[in-house]
Amino acid sequence: MRPAIAAGLVLLVSQSGAAAEPDQGAQLAATCASCHRLDGGGTGIPSIIGLGEERLKSALLAYRASERPNHIMHAIALSLSDEEIASVARYVAAQGK
Amino acid sequence: MKSWTRREFGCLTGAGLLTALSPRKARGQAKARVVVIGGGIGGATVAKYLASSATAVDVTLVEPRQSYTTCFFSNLYLAGLRPFESLGHGYEALARQYGITVIHESAAAIDPAANTVALNNGSKLSYDRLVVAPGIAFRDRALEGYDDAAMEIMPHAWNAGPQSKLLRRQLESMEDGGLFLIVVPPDPFRCPPAPYERASLVASYFQNSKPKAKILILDAKDKFNAQDVFQDAWNRHYPGMIEWLPAQFTGGVTAVDPKTRSVITAGATFKAAVANVVPAQMAGRLAQQAGLTDQSGWCPVDPVTFESALQPGIHLVGDAIIGGDMPKSAFCANSQAKACAFAIAADLAGSERFPAHLFNTCYTYLAPDDAFSNAISFQPVDGKLKRVLNFVSKVEEGADIRRKAARAAEGWYDAFTQDVFG
Repeated sequence: MRPAIAAGLVLLVSQSGAAAEPDQGAQLAATCASCHRLDGGGTGIPSIIGLGEERLKSALLAYRASERPNHIMHAIALSLSDEEIASVARYVAAQGK
Repeated sequence: MKSWTRREFGCLTGAGLLTALSPRKARGQAKARVVVIGGGIGGATVAKYLASSATAVDVTLVEPRQSYTTCFFSNLYLAGLRPFESLGHGYEALARQYGITVIHESAAAIDPAANTVALNNGSKLSYDRLVVAPGIAFRDRALEGYDDAAMEIMPHAWNAGPQSKLLRRQLESMEDGGLFLIVVPPDPFRCPPAPYERASLVASYFQNSKPKAKILILDAKDKFNAQDVFQDAWNRHYPGMIEWLPAQFTGGVTAVDPKTRSVITAGATFKAAVANVVPAQMAGRLAQQAGLTDQSGWCPVDPVTFESALQPGIHLVGDAIIGGDMPKSAFCANSQAKACAFAIAADLAGSERFPAHLFNTCYTYLAPDDAFSNAISFQPVDGKLKRVLNFVSKVEEGADIRRKAARAAEGWYDAFTQDVFG
């Protein structure tokens, strides 16, 4: 990043960043939807709807740290960066509202 | 938002007119037209995720069948554990809720120079982007004697539908003490653990209704994935019932004789009461005709956008593609389809493309209340999809974990088919 960039361009970048954020969350949540119903229904696989952003985030971080109790969630969480975990937790939490 | 359904309108007028008359186009904002050929897991997922993306896209899905029968969970049907109807999924929600134009016709030919697809009914669809999800075809003359007529006597049941029903009828009418023979094709083929899951679940059916029956698996390989987990389960649940013969013992299956329901290997002939012959596979016929396949018979693609390496502007997802470590599974097709849809949408809108996450997750039944799972992640590396992480259930896993996995598998089926078909 060059510090000399004009203020107008900085504004433009932050706007597109703001627009991109829900997109990234939605795309990551598409992975969740392969196993978790995003309408909150379903049995056998726990619902992730209505859990709240912090709870989703801490669950993903816990899954990332350990193969137990679920190696599927471990593999998913290990492939996500901190930023991606925050982004998908924010998006999924918003679906429950 | 819509006062008429695009599906009904599309049926009346054809997709070309539809695009010309759509409200957005009338205001001068041309919507990109994406045609998706094939309404299996990959094709249906691409169509749904493109239609629900923020980018304005007109999506047309071309699929001759009125409903799709899932291959996954069809082994439960074969074992009498699930009704056939529970495997069927229609396209109504994709049309109604997502505004996808669903055309129940076969695609006859692709003209990449003109950007058109000709349908069997004589009409033509123009596209800005084309996604082809042709699934698998069986290789001609892979096994001597295994032709269309032989398939009606020794079913493959590797496309779920009438073949599954035929095999189920044969298993039901088989006498106790009969031999059920499964011929496993060479790699790569659709759903690598499925032959062994099939043996496991049919064994659970035999155990209850034909306890003297035997199952013989004639493999084109010398080992298979999670072999220790399967063989441990066979010994625990069905001692003495299932025998697996690798290619190094038999020399491989070379021919079949439908008249005597026999399978012939280099060294012996095996006469079966019921024979499930799964032939060697390649990409679906349309991919072959359209020049989308290489010498391997499969479709090479860019691992980020899933654009064909041979025909620019045409994307491919699902069982038909090669180019790395991703197996041919419904989960992979779904995962690829999402990455492909997001890549197309970003490209059409000129917006940012986020790194794709590609996975395979698989639940495999060893018995009705004993299932194991695995999870693999993939990343594009040097033009190929490389396996990055691989976690699989272990032999020593407790019975409670396996019971939970069997229940989770049911929940997965429900959520997954909801994800694909709306």
